[in-house]
Amino acid sequence: MQSNMSRGIIEVDALREATPSMSGKEMLLGNAYRPWPARITSMRDLTANEKLVEMRFIDERVREAFVHEPGQFLELSLFGVGEAPISITSSPTKQGFVELCIRRAGTVTGALHSMHAGDIVGIRGPFGRGFPVDKFRGNDVLIVAGGLGIAPVRSLINYIHDNRSDFGKVTIVYGSRTPSDIMFRDQFEMWRHRKDFELYLTVDQPDDTWDGEVGVVTEPMKRLDFNPANTYGVVCGPPIMYKFVVQVMREKNIDYDHIYLDFERHMKCGMGKCGHCQIGHQYCCIDGPVFNYWEAKNIQGSM
Amino acid sequence: MLYRVMDKRELPALVRAFMESYEVVAPVKRGSGYIFDVIGSPEEIELDYTQTASSPKKYLMPPTETLMKFDANMNLVEDFIEQVTPRVIFGVHTCDINALNRLDVALIGGKYVDPYYQARRDATIVVGISCVPNENCFCHLWGADEAQFGYDLFLHDIGDKYLVSMSNVEATNILEAACELSEATDEDRIAFRQATRVRQSAFNKDIPDVQDVAMLMDVFHSDPFWEELGKKCLSCSACASVCPTCFCFDIRDVLTPDGKTGERQRTWDACTNPGFAMVTGGHNFRPTGRERVRHRMYHKLNGFFVNHDRMLCVGCGRCVTACKTGINPIEVLRFFKRKGADHAK
Ligand SMILES: Cc1cc2nc3c(=O)[nH]c(=O)nc-3n(C[C@H](O)[C@H](O)[C@H](O)COP(=O)(O)OP(=O)(O)OC[C@H]3O[C@@H](n4cnc5c(N)ncnc54)[C@H](O)[C@@H]3O)c2cc1C
Ligand code: SF4
Ligand code: SF4
Ligand code: FES
Repeated sequence: MQSNMSRGIIEVDALREATPSMSGKEMLLGNAYRPWPARITSMRDLTANEKLVEMRFIDERVREAFVHEPGQFLELSLFGVGEAPISITSSPTKQGFVELCIRRAGTVTGALHSMHAGDIVGIRGPFGRGFPVDKFRGNDVLIVAGGLGIAPVRSLINYIHDNRSDFGKVTIVYGSRTPSDIMFRDQFEMWRHRKDFELYLTVDQPDDTWDGEVGVVTEPMKRLDFNPANTYGVVCGPPIMYKFVVQVMREKNIDYDHIYLDFERHMKCGMGKCGHCQIGHQYCCIDGPVFNYWEAKNIQGSM
Repeated sequence: MLYRVMDKRELPALVRAFMESYEVVAPVKRGSGYIFDVIGSPEEIELDYTQTASSPKKYLMPPTETLMKFDANMNLVEDFIEQVTPRVIFGVHTCDINALNRLDVALIGGKYVDPYYQARRDATIVVGISCVPNENCFCHLWGADEAQFGYDLFLHDIGDKYLVSMSNVEATNILEAACELSEATDEDRIAFRQATRVRQSAFNKDIPDVQDVAMLMDVFHSDPFWEELGKKCLSCSACASVCPTCFCFDIRDVLTPDGKTGERQRTWDACTNPGFAMVTGGHNFRPTGRERVRHRMYHKLNGFFVNHDRMLCVGCGRCVTACKTGINPIEVLRFFKRKGADHAK
């Protein structure tokens, strides 16, 4: 109970405007529903429907306090339109900026696509439990992504690249619908060329330019050779994909708790309050979105 | 817990004392039933109410509330609705006090605090009242027939008097200033024991007491029962809106007619709504009534329990009345009983 209550109205401290004495952390956590203004610093097309958007918080304290792990997401806010949970696709090693890879899918993402560098958006977060990079360190990593699933794992890929000597062999299997849906291809091809990563690209529907593999991501996976004892698996993609990818990983003897799955659910608050993202007894937004397969097996309705 | 004895005739004086500094909300009669509403005088209060149609949660989490006001052109926050009314909720049953404690866990607990809920909770004095169960009450099955904490004063009815548990300084000060209190006598303590026994023996014995409910929710997760139950669901959300522990919400922006400014609001939502778990691209993680009704029961009888060691149902029985198609936790208990998995007393 608050003291000095009297009939009438009381003011709530946590909801006040930011004061000069507030720290960045207090600003982000005091009222975690409150988005902070960030400026779009660059925006470019990745595909016909996806844009890479770089943003920078305007307030320096928020900019410094906003530190994410690979696999975490934020809530992107356009006042009057709404909010959307979006994975942070840049590596935490890149400080001061966040990069998002945004597919035009509805009202919020559509409105964002019509914005320009210099415009202001709102951001709150970062939210969720990302990939356990400290566990991965010193081990081989097999990353399997489908479609937009590349967005969250790209933060992991970039993080590994920035700390390359800390990790063993890293293999990326990335499936897209068509060749023109492949995102970050130049960057990935360059890294493959430099032997930083092994890369397998597949498409469902080839076009005339495509001389690579056609089919589902599990095909190249089946041919891969790796040591299950020191390999961590990472999976992110459309809902249908998880079961099949996990099956191959299990056939290759990767342990239940060495397989990490990045889930998507309907999210509103992003911070464990609104209930929208519940999966079984867990909340995708705070207990996840990254779960290992052992945890996922114990969650009703996870896959 | 500190406790004193108060004469029932002093009750109006206590209510009037609260009304001097607070808005007082209490059970009142409306039509053939009862609801919690703001009162204008102590005489309106119906302390012998059986159950109110909906719970007092609306005073801590209103059906629609403004989180912030914004300037849509600049994409900036303009203002917060940062004011709450100090309030006394008078005459709350133990089920609803236990429900508030669960809302506290859900909304204040964990890494993130919900500052809107917390502000209202902090500005609210809860005065509990003992009760006698009606035919739909099963709070005793979840241990919600006693309130260990979560109230400021609790009035145990012991005949002509109340045995008052006092857990908050401010409420106690008001009580002591308004009423003549006395030390409990042995007679009072015996009357308290008897009242407790009367309550305990009044529960509807047709509601089965099933053990290991959380485990059974997992074990029978794929049973055809959920299809049967789920296909009756009308997705009307009546269950969630009357439920004192349902807290799910939606967030949406509402613009003023000129489109320049607006409010970000939250409104009650329910996992029985068809689009609740749908994601972009149209994939729905709970596409039919089967998955939705099962999830609602699962979160109440398993999910919340395994994380917080208590059910997210307090057995208030409101959904038993509210759901026109007979979907409620009692039906789930009856199903488990039919499966012979119970050790009913
Ligand atoms: C953790 C997480 C990370 C994500 N990361 C990314 C990312 O990096 N990049 C990215 O582009 N997207 C990402 N998404 C998806 C993104 O959040 C959605 O595409 C976005 O919320 C769509 O919002 P919108 O307002 O544009 O679309 P909306 O207008 O809200 O909806 C678009 C479509 O989605 C469906 N839909 C969604 N919600 C409902 C509902 N309640 N009822 C009925 N239909 C509904 C409908 O089919 C509708 O046509 C992520 C999602 C999550 C949960
Ligand atoms: S589920 Fe039904 S009985 Fe249980 S607390 Fe909610 S309304 Fe009351
Ligand atoms: S369970 Fe009953 S009250 Fe709840 S949404 Fe379905 S029909 Fe309505
Ligand atoms: S998104 Fe609101 S609880 Fe997870």
